[in-house]
Amino acid sequence: MSIQLPPDDGAVTSNGPVAGAEPGSGVVSNSTGAKKLAPPEKPSDVRRRSHIILSFWLIVLCLGLPIWWKTTTIYRADLPLQEMLDWSDGKACRPVFPLRISIQANALQEQEAQNLLRLTQHALDDLNDFSGHHLRLQLAPPSTTEHAGSESVLTLRLVPGDTTTTKFDPHQPILDITYPPNAIPSPTSSSSALATYVAGQLRATFAEEQATISYLLSTNSIPPDHRAQGLSSDVSDSLAKRTTRSLKYAPTYHLTFSLFTSGPLPSDWDIDGAIGAYMKPVLDVLSPIHNFTIDTQVQLYATPGVQNQVLNKEDLSSFINAAEWPLSPSIGGAPTVNFIVFIGNQTIATSSQDPIDGDTGSPAAASHSWLIPQWGTIYLLPLSHDTTHLSAEALKQPLLTFTSHLLSLTGTPQSGSLPLRLSTLSRIRSADLLLRASSTLGSLARLALALPSISIPSRVAEGVSKTMHHLRLACDTLGGLEGLAHARIAEAEAERAFFEKSMVGQLYFPDEHKIAVYLPLLGPVAVPLVMGLLNEIKAWRKRRSERAEVGEGKKKE
Amino acid sequence: MRRFLSLLWLSLLSFFTFSAPVSATDSDYHEQLNLRPLPLSSLLASFNFRSNTTLSEFEKGNFRFFPRSLAQILQHAGTRELHLRFSLGRWDAETWGARPWNGAREGGTGVELWAWLEADTNEEADHKWLTLTNALSGLFCASLNFIDGTRTTRPVMSFQPEGDHSAVDNMQLLYGVLPHEVVCTENLTPFLKLLPCKGKAGIATLLDGHKLFDSSWQSMAIDIRPICPAGGECVLQIEQTIDMVLDIDRSKRPRGNPIPRPPPSEQLPCDASKPYNSHDTCFPVDHTNQEWTLSQIFGKTVKGTCPLADEAVPPVCLQVHHSRSVFVSKDVHEKKNPDGLSRCFHISPETDMELMLPRPDDAEAASSSTSIIAAETPLLYAERSFTGHGQERGGVQTILRNPSPDTEVEFIYMESLPWFMRIYLHTMEARIASQQPHTNASSSASSYSSLIEQVYYRPALDRARGTQLEVRMRVPPASTVFLTYDFEKSILRYTEYPPDANRGFDVAAAVITILDPTTQGQEAGGKELAAAYTLRTTSLLCSLPTPDFSMPYNVIIFTSTAIALAFGGMFNILVRRFVAADEGPEAGLKVLIAKLKARVKGVKG
Repeated sequence: MSIQLPPDDGAVTSNGPVAGAEPGSGVVSNSTGAKKLAPPEKPSDVRRRSHIILSFWLIVLCLGLPIWWKTTTIYRADLPLQEMLDWSDGKACRPVFPLRISIQANALQEQEAQNLLRLTQHALDDLNDFSGHHLRLQLAPPSTTEHAGSESVLTLRLVPGDTTTTKFDPHQPILDITYPPNAIPSPTSSSSALATYVAGQLRATFAEEQATISYLLSTNSIPPDHRAQGLSSDVSDSLAKRTTRSLKYAPTYHLTFSLFTSGPLPSDWDIDGAIGAYMKPVLDVLSPIHNFTIDTQVQLYATPGVQNQVLNKEDLSSFINAAEWPLSPSIGGAPTVNFIVFIGNQTIATSSQDPIDGDTGSPAAASHSWLIPQWGTIYLLPLSHDTTHLSAEALKQPLLTFTSHLLSLTGTPQSGSLPLRLSTLSRIRSADLLLRASSTLGSLARLALALPSISIPSRVAEGVSKTMHHLRLACDTLGGLEGLAHARIAEAEAERAFFEKSMVGQLYFPDEHKIAVYLPLLGPVAVPLVMGLLNEIKAWRKRRSERAEVGEGKKKE
Repeated sequence: MRRFLSLLWLSLLSFFTFSAPVSATDSDYHEQLNLRPLPLSSLLASFNFRSNTTLSEFEKGNFRFFPRSLAQILQHAGTRELHLRFSLGRWDAETWGARPWNGAREGGTGVELWAWLEADTNEEADHKWLTLTNALSGLFCASLNFIDGTRTTRPVMSFQPEGDHSAVDNMQLLYGVLPHEVVCTENLTPFLKLLPCKGKAGIATLLDGHKLFDSSWQSMAIDIRPICPAGGECVLQIEQTIDMVLDIDRSKRPRGNPIPRPPPSEQLPCDASKPYNSHDTCFPVDHTNQEWTLSQIFGKTVKGTCPLADEAVPPVCLQVHHSRSVFVSKDVHEKKNPDGLSRCFHISPETDMELMLPRPDDAEAASSSTSIIAAETPLLYAERSFTGHGQERGGVQTILRNPSPDTEVEFIYMESLPWFMRIYLHTMEARIASQQPHTNASSSASSYSSLIEQVYYRPALDRARGTQLEVRMRVPPASTVFLTYDFEKSILRYTEYPPDANRGFDVAAAVITILDPTTQGQEAGGKELAAAYTLRTTSLLCSLPTPDFSMPYNVIIFTSTAIALAFGGMFNILVRRFVAADEGPEAGLKVLIAKLKARVKGVKG
């Protein structure tokens, strides 16, 4: 910036003999009495100067500012923020699992069966306190024998017998209930022991699922009226434990079976045969929900991270020598579940009251193996030192343990027959995915609100709209496999939108940086502009007051 | 020379016949350490580990000897054959002679990777290559993920698959090299993890980062190839090789006192053939100083054998004349090979093996030539260097010398240059360095032109791919050929410079593949060009014009000042009124002083 001449007081000098406008200028004019005065300025010059300053300011404000704004603005795609927050608050979808249970009572009359159904339904409705999880009974046509219908989750087969007994069919979702002949309620009676019994059995069957789902809802800020009230603290503790233990849902899991030994032997195992014999049946049953890929390895000379002969609870977490054991996860994107057979005669201290692995039924298995949440299982297998080959029979117990742990790692419920547990698993998984996707949407919305300077590319908006579309579809078809598929897509899209790369990159671009870049240019340019404007305004005010004085003087004359 | 070649061929043949029964037998793992004393008190240690897995087991995912982590990567990236090299140092061919494995198991300085990928289109191959380099980068703790498009080439002539492939049509060869990568212990650790015995038993116990990376030259190699024996099931073979040249004097220095000191004069071996040799005058001969024990040079002994290894293969072999005595520890059985130049040792699984090569007896010392087996002469010597000066242009000169008196050497010279070295192909020439450069010009000119037989050139694209140059040429017997070309250095963008920009940019080693003369007859039929010997030149350091990196801020401030000056001046001229100097209000220092005085007076008054 350079100012060669002192600021000129324009109109002041043009109008009168007053030398200076500033208060100090009186001193100056006093000390230099012989000072000449500049000739008065023409009014046209004054007007032209005002026009010049005005046009500069107009260019800056009308052209400069919009261009600057346009070129430095951050693109933020429109997100339906309110709708997204609604999803995460659970206002957009009320998860309802309509469960159809068909009753097969071939020995009963149509009328009797209808009556029994009505009474049982009444009893169920009385017992049920959780509106999201509703058991709906229907009468299967007596002609169909095995599958009562694909939409029903459970078939109740009422068979006349001597006493009231309950038995699960191990291969199909069928519950056999025998009843004594006198238990059939009369058409007029309003209550029946059999109906209450059946309702109690059904309730017991689905109690765990109900608890799990209501636990999931409660941890995901769903309004309390959708939840079951009576969730005791120890139930919710065990559910919390099980939820943290289970892996995140994925369509494919990669199973890695590793044989680790601290010495050179055994170097060979018949793992292929053992998997085929003991684990394959369960994997086949799980196949509608998950796919599994398998690989196996043998690792010799592997020293565990803990050298103690008796492993305490603290040792278990550091037993895996992560630095040396090649347990790298699979690179295909599927989560890896590790199953490790470690050849060694270490024992686990069982004095601890809280066993790490409370899920395996037999105590022998519990003292040899433990489960690492969301990671896998280690099984300690003692062997004599000269064993070179590990046969499939020797691997039976480890693999059975692994199988039960796999179910626990995938989040399968504990009770009930296997087919029923699996259908429950698919419902729990869809609820879980739905809630996960919703909460991711909510996080994204809160992020967009919290960081006004973050850019939101259009891909994110697309992902959000796709997520909400599939969430809506999943919410409508909850309980079936279709709902699971939609929830899976919604979850994947929500994750992709949230972890958009270009959003992360520009997260930190502080305003100080902008000032550092702009100041060397804008500072020196702005000073003459602002000073010019201020001087002009000052001069304009002075002119106005002068004119007013002149007007008053004229009036006096 | 012909006899020498046939000898070489015979030894190659014997190597293959030796290895064939190994792959046919049950044992799928094999390891061997070959120790070869070299002149000037150096020792070449070649570790070789080889394991097989049948292709069916590989596809099912059952891994016993084959490392699972690597197999997953191969399956995921559709890799049929893979070669990975980590190298450090320079092989001194003048002193040490021919390279181990005929140069087939070594790479240029830094990291080198080439692989045959299963792909139908170039895009698919590029995608799989990206997956492969990224995954290997994680596995080996190396910056392999920096092998991007600019560092990847598709060699046409230089590399041929080593394995047996049924369908060659949908395989693509990609080659990437990182000359700047510093190989160190963090690359050795994952390398050892891939071995079935993990460096806890067998010869791998000798491998230690301190010794390996202290050597004069070292090369770690991983080769994976499918092998289909006639009538047997196809196997996938992984071969891990470590070659290192140890400086014996350096290795023998005690750890606590590593400063080298001359030996006492009475222990100094003197060259008695010198005329001035007397009791107080000595010309030391130190190249016969082949006197060491395993624990001296490696810092430890071999701990037993890996129980998985094939018992028929002796784990340790030493190449010295049978006349020299070698001491080994108990339970180690020495077996002299019939060639008279090497012996092997069988170790029982539980013993620690110590090997001692004592100083030759006095009678032997007199004939110092027998204490070390004479180094084999390599087929070709190659040196590459930069010529020219300045920051704009330069040249590359490769000196290729054929030591054989009667055999011509035909080879493929491959360069993969970074894109910022723009070569002028028309300046490429090969000339024979003759004793009388100016005589007989016309006849030699005709021979020059025929030195280069074939050129494959793929020019660089700025920031997209590097230059690929493959030259098939020959060097006549007992002559030296200069291969030169000029290039221009381009100026990089601000962000393209590495953090240590003034260090210069590494240019990858040139790969020279010498063609096997015995297979050249079949060349017309198939495309196969078997490599008889491979060597690599050293890598080069190319310095580019390097800017001052505070430049952008200087530019911002400088332009801002210029604009502000121009704007301020123009604006002032437009809006200010010009009057004569005595007409306007007073300004400057005087006014300020007067103002101050008035104020002081006011305060006083």
